[in-house]
Amino acid sequence: MTPPESPHSTGTDLLVLHALRCVGFAGLARVAAATGLPEPDAESELIDLARAGLVTHLAGTFGGWGLTEAGRAADAERIAEELEASGARAAVAAAYHDFLVLNPELLDLCTAWQLRPAGPAYDARVLDRLTDFDQRAGVVGAALSAALPRFRRYRVRLTGALARARSGALEYVTDSVESYHAVWFQLHEDLLATLGIPRE
Amino acid sequence: MRWVRPLSAEVGETAAVLGGKAHGLVVLRRLGLPVPPGFVITTEACRAFLRDGRLPDGLDAELAAAIADLEAATNRTLGGAERPLAVSVRSGGGVSMPGMMATVLNLGLTAEATAGLAAETGDGRFARDSRERFQTSFAAAVGDEPVPEDAARQLERAVAAVFSSWDTPRARTYRTLQDIAPDLGTAVTVQAMVFGNRDHHSGTGVAFSRNPSTGEPVPFGEVLFGRQGDDVVSGGLLTRPLHELAGREPTVWAHLLDALDRVESHYRDGCHLEFTFEAGELWLLQVRPGRFAGAAAVRVAVDLADEGVISRHGALRRISPQQLGDARTPRIVAADVLARGIGACPGIAVGRVATTADNAARMAADGPVILVRPQTSPLDMHGLAAAAGVLTARGGPASHAAVVARSLRKPAVVGAADLTVLEGSFQAGGHTVPEGTLITIDGTGGEVVLGTSRIATGATNPHLERLLGWADEVSGGNPDRSETERLTAARAVLL
Repeated sequence: MTPPESPHSTGTDLLVLHALRCVGFAGLARVAAATGLPEPDAESELIDLARAGLVTHLAGTFGGWGLTEAGRAADAERIAEELEASGARAAVAAAYHDFLVLNPELLDLCTAWQLRPAGPAYDARVLDRLTDFDQRAGVVGAALSAALPRFRRYRVRLTGALARARSGALEYVTDSVESYHAVWFQLHEDLLATLGIPRE
Repeated sequence: MRWVRPLSAEVGETAAVLGGKAHGLVVLRRLGLPVPPGFVITTEACRAFLRDGRLPDGLDAELAAAIADLEAATNRTLGGAERPLAVSVRSGGGVSMPGMMATVLNLGLTAEATAGLAAETGDGRFARDSRERFQTSFAAAVGDEPVPEDAARQLERAVAAVFSSWDTPRARTYRTLQDIAPDLGTAVTVQAMVFGNRDHHSGTGVAFSRNPSTGEPVPFGEVLFGRQGDDVVSGGLLTRPLHELAGREPTVWAHLLDALDRVESHYRDGCHLEFTFEAGELWLLQVRPGRFAGAAAVRVAVDLADEGVISRHGALRRISPQQLGDARTPRIVAADVLARGIGACPGIAVGRVATTADNAARMAADGPVILVRPQTSPLDMHGLAAAAGVLTARGGPASHAAVVARSLRKPAVVGAADLTVLEGSFQAGGHTVPEGTLITIDGTGGEVVLGTSRIATGATNPHLERLLGWADEVSGGNPDRSETERLTAARAVLL
């Protein structure tokens, strides 16, 4: 059901800031993928956020863009404000509850995938189960997106990863940085961050 | 009775009907070993429940009769104000589905029965602790509904919840992935509770008849004093090495050693027992044969052949080419284990401790690092990428940390429950280990060792060499082939 008024839309600066909160250190391409912004727009936001002292760029093999302490605090504050202003807390909390029912099943699937015997027959079986799982995950995704539109991006990324895996790019189940598991893991982090729940 | 069987030595049905857990308990009974009295509701009742959406006709009367028998056997009353009977309600299919099915402990502890238990034991804290555990496990199994104050009603709800847990989407997915037939159903085992949290002479544990890491023929396991069964599995509490039982509870220890001997002779294999002792008396709650992996599986098979328990051909049939490969994975040979978790990605990693992802990324420039975290989040990914291996305090073999470690092919130990990660250090086994300290982790057996450990590469594994020698005798083949080919050729003759 569509709410009568247009739902809350997250500003691009907060989208970029919050992407780093959920993804961790990442290069420009991954920030763009996580936010759905064109790379030049994402880069411009990153530069502005860096000027404000909220993000930093580390050189080196394991570097990339990441949040500063101030950036992490600013993100927590603005994401909490957004949740209250949009009136979406109850809906996001309910979706998080449903997410937690699905999460062990996805981890079982990923584990079976990683420990699987070689062969296309078993691959197809796991991918069929993942497709079935994704349909149920889509119900939670739709509820989240209706509550806060910035969550739509996860559906795009998850269905994208599944489609790539099904078309033969098997690293999109667990191994790639945009794999189904990697995106799901970030969604888990986002739900915790959005609801202000510490990881236990 | 149509749907219910007693847990007695006379029951002759298979694990397909009784479930693996109850079938094992019947075997223990036949071996004259101590099993808490109880009964099992068959998988057939589960199939009827799943077909009709309700408990089958006649089950309620059979449950009432079985409970009456149990009350008579224990001289207790379910939900009674005096000498209350509490029961455990556990799932158990013909095949194991770890962590997927519902379990309810201490069922029958109504408010009245809890007061009765407190009066009987003179220990109000113990009684309250037991009732809380019931309420928590009931809510987890049954969901958001009030706990009935009627004990018989509690039992019906718990049985239905266990049956329902067979058919959750997660369980369906797991069965598809593990090649388990979708329509087997689960049995439900109901037993009089034994209380590992009863007093200072009570506790719970798990015991292997042989060391599960090495196969060495020495009993091995963990014990948790003053606690109830599932605490060992769920972790987060200080478990002690099994042999500490010998000094603290010598009678329990002697009976446990005897039980391990008897189950090994029966199954002709290394075995795993779950046990509880209450006020100095041992009770066995589960037996599983086998479950040894890699080099341990090879050693157990070769030792059993040497002991005359199985034949050399039998030993060859037991070891799959996959296990042979696993036996070659390097392993820690640990004298002094600092902490133990669950091996989530095989292999050994040696490196300096880093307790944050940022530190791991920074320190990795100067040499290998082990990232040590309470658990992992996506914010740890750059640290994981930089690290040689990862160690976490929480999580299981199917946790985000385990999935990520395997995707990066980094040795990983997860769920090291006794480990506390602080800022700049971690604590384990009475040691404080500062950041920068060299440690070794073994992603097969889950061991964590201070410094660099001696490592067995499998290259000089005498048990493996002997097994392959037997393989050549069977196949008439020569030893100048790969190990897998030597084993496979022998198995082709034998299987």
